[in-house]
Amino acid sequence: MVRAIRGVLIECEPAIKSIIVHLDSANNDIIIEDLDEQHLVVKENMVHVLKQKLEDRLKETYRPEEPLADSD
Amino acid sequence: MSLAPQSYQLSDYLEKLPGTTFRKLYQQPSTAFAIFRRMLPALAKVFVQALLYMPSPMLLSELDVWVRAEGKMQRDRALSILRSLHIIQITPPGKDKPQELQLTTNFKNSLRLALEGGGTHSSFGVPSTLPVDPRIDIAHLDNYARKKWEDILHYVVNSVPVHGEGGGAGSGAGGPKASVKDLLLAGRLVERRSDTRGGVGITQAGFTFLLQEAGAQVWTLLLLWLEAADHSKAQQGQQAAAAESKPDSIDMLSFLFMLASLELGRAYDTDALTETRRNMLPALVDFGLIYIPREDTRQYFPTRLATTLTSGASALRSVSSGFAAATTNTSGDTSSLGTTAADAPSSKGFIIIETNYRVYAYTSSPLQIAVLALFTQLNMRFAGMVTGRLTRDSIRRAIGFGITADQIISYLAAHAHEQMVRAAAATGRPVLPPTVVDQIRLWQLENERMRTTAGFLFKDFDTPDEYAALCSYAEEIGVLVWKSDRRKMFFASKMEQLRDYLKSRKKAE
Repeated sequence: MVRAIRGVLIECEPAIKSIIVHLDSANNDIIIEDLDEQHLVVKENMVHVLKQKLEDRLKETYRPEEPLADSD
Repeated sequence: MSLAPQSYQLSDYLEKLPGTTFRKLYQQPSTAFAIFRRMLPALAKVFVQALLYMPSPMLLSELDVWVRAEGKMQRDRALSILRSLHIIQITPPGKDKPQELQLTTNFKNSLRLALEGGGTHSSFGVPSTLPVDPRIDIAHLDNYARKKWEDILHYVVNSVPVHGEGGGAGSGAGGPKASVKDLLLAGRLVERRSDTRGGVGITQAGFTFLLQEAGAQVWTLLLLWLEAADHSKAQQGQQAAAAESKPDSIDMLSFLFMLASLELGRAYDTDALTETRRNMLPALVDFGLIYIPREDTRQYFPTRLATTLTSGASALRSVSSGFAAATTNTSGDTSSLGTTAADAPSSKGFIIIETNYRVYAYTSSPLQIAVLALFTQLNMRFAGMVTGRLTRDSIRRAIGFGITADQIISYLAAHAHEQMVRAAAATGRPVLPPTVVDQIRLWQLENERMRTTAGFLFKDFDTPDEYAALCSYAEEIGVLVWKSDRRKMFFASKMEQLRDYLKSRKKAE
């Protein structure tokens, strides 16, 4: 019997996907279905939390912005 | 698809309504006409016009003769929209009988009435026969509507936490009525927070609301209002144990469609309205959609906010068309023809952007400055001008609020200073410096590590055929987002029509 499951489709780079899979492995409370290299379906109510966690994880890789010389 | 954002939101609301609601809505010629005018793509309009005077149902297969083979996708999408709005009926596929197509009765009769005139439906409003105060002219109505609407926007803007010296200066005197504030709260455009001045803070939805063009803002607020009315009705219904479905919101919605068909600057008769509609008047006055003279409440005047509710993108500057107009160097003077009252002050462009990301805004309106401060790092404020700069951080912060790069770009383009428009026209270049536009997009991209789409995952199909049929149907009606033929799964953004399709397929077997 065909099923329709409510969720949010996420499309991202494989590297980001592997981080999401890793975040999920702690409690298995995020991912509904792992689709392929660049797609997965997650729970609707977890998207916000996921974005937050991803942001924290990626923070250290950000280059700080070099201040522009400005003569206002 | 060039459907403006406001029709998108409205269509979302309409799609959720059941068929019985549509039957009642279409009893009003003005509603049928407004839906026809506003909500349908060109091909769907052609179908409706052809079917309108057809005496008997038409074979679905004959429709193929009208549409070229490569237009099958558009045809299916048009049919799917017509079906979801309950404008056409298609008989379910059977073995012995071919599928037939016809307009639903109420819609057909009402649209005929709207086109031919006649009938005693008074669906397009009853003009007042009383003498009209000569002071109430179009300029007066525009001023009134602008004041009311800006009060509402001020209230939302002032709930922004203040950054630097530019943001959120000055508080709107008085502000909107308490009922409007409650509505904004209930619609989660703002939320109660103790750390801001007004006791409320803006939400992500509120930021998106602020950057929408006026027409979309009006519909957002009106739909919140309809939903609130439904909600309170449902609560009352539980208490009184009355099983009556909600005729109120239906009547409210068709009243809004009727207002949209009225003529600006003309007086209409209040007494000719039903009681539900008369009860709506005070709220509509608070929103600035209609004006009622204090000394004579037997007349009401629709303002520009109301009369442009269902007009096309030509009359209301939508975000995308405003962007297109600005980038194709249309001179600014056309804007005075079509913009709404609330847009009028801002439609005179005031922003100058240089290729080095500096922003100069010639304005002293706290509303415009506060909106600008959402995505600009404002540095200095002079009399009649503020200066600032677009930075990675300011754009990132805006995106954190839920504003998109496209919203920012179209806002800047739509409000670009006349000088920029003229210089661009002279050199044949786009209004905004391309480097800045590209950089804003790049800043968004580096911030968006993933793209999200809400919807439904379809899996566990019984047969490969079932998967193939449903998946290709999803593609035809334009809801397919992702699919895997190997794993027999797909992801669709909506499910209502797919569910109906599955049911009718089951029945046919």
